[in-house]
Amino acid sequence: MISIAGIPTLETARLVLRGPIAGDAQAFMAFYRSKRSNMAGGPLEDRESWQAFAADFGHWALLGFGRFIVTLKGNDEPIGLAGHYAPHSRPEKEVGWVLLDTANEGQGYATEAAQRCIDHAWQVLGWDTFVSYINSKNDASTRLAERLGAVQDANAPQPNTDKPCLVYRHPRPEMAT
Amino acid sequence: MIPLVPTLETERLILRAPNEGDFEADVAFYASERSHGFGGPLSREQTWRNLATVLGHWIIRGYGFWAVDEKSTGLYCGHVGLWSPEGWPEPEIGWAVQAQAEGRGIAFEAALKARDYAYDKLGWSTAISSIVPGNTRSIALVRRMGATFENHYEHPSYGQMEIWRHPTSDALKETA
Repeated sequence: MISIAGIPTLETARLVLRGPIAGDAQAFMAFYRSKRSNMAGGPLEDRESWQAFAADFGHWALLGFGRFIVTLKGNDEPIGLAGHYAPHSRPEKEVGWVLLDTANEGQGYATEAAQRCIDHAWQVLGWDTFVSYINSKNDASTRLAERLGAVQDANAPQPNTDKPCLVYRHPRPEMAT
Repeated sequence: MIPLVPTLETERLILRAPNEGDFEADVAFYASERSHGFGGPLSREQTWRNLATVLGHWIIRGYGFWAVDEKSTGLYCGHVGLWSPEGWPEPEIGWAVQAQAEGRGIAFEAALKARDYAYDKLGWSTAISSIVPGNTRSIALVRRMGATFENHYEHPSYGQMEIWRHPTSDALKETA
């Protein structure tokens, strides 16, 4: 199996955030078939979600950062996506997160993954500022963003003016290096 | 972090990994009418995403589209290669060549190399090319490669496409 060299693996207390592999395509497509994906641009036909999955690899290859596959320690199956997202023409860099299955909600996994990615953005990627774009109906994600200290920025440019979303800006930690 | 893409060479061409340096030329191509038989037109944003998908296709499938450069001029000519995203009828040999590279057999030369790679390195026994009806240049090219019309199929986004069948790997060996 071909993979991209150089994608780091990030760990938290309970999670491993790793680079995508070809075998993750099935979990990715299954998520985008589900109603749950309507908070993340879905639902999508398999051919569309496969291309989006392929583009995630290309995002890593072109920019050197991207979205990680979130797994539980000791189990390599994907439970979510979290990471750094800045495809061409987006007004700002984003940290995003999604859990693939409701079964894994309510346990703080998304918070844990998102916090790790936020730290990585400040400390390793050296980003100056970044946001999270959240569907206004996605209460779970807005609560999560607020728990992480992010603040809604009503003046921030929208990534898709046809479908406005909430823009949460992450405050720079005082001790960020 | 570029995926492993083998570099191939023909008499006049280099086939190499697509990269961000191709982006502006790709934007111009996908903004033009020429792109209509190749999934276009696409915005800048969509063109970037398409480039990302092309790279990801290499990683997931182990093959994909090469960027083609003309050796003598360094001119970037477009994409030629092997394509089989989810939902595609069969793995295909495809091309999307820019206006400045037209009329000199560049797509033909690169497509032959891609077909040899599919048959000799990847072990494909057969291959198709799917072409939008009325794309007379691509139809002339695929005929020149020895392919024959097989049937039509309906792509959910691109509409009706013609499937052209290339000579099999075995058939090419017999005539070689």
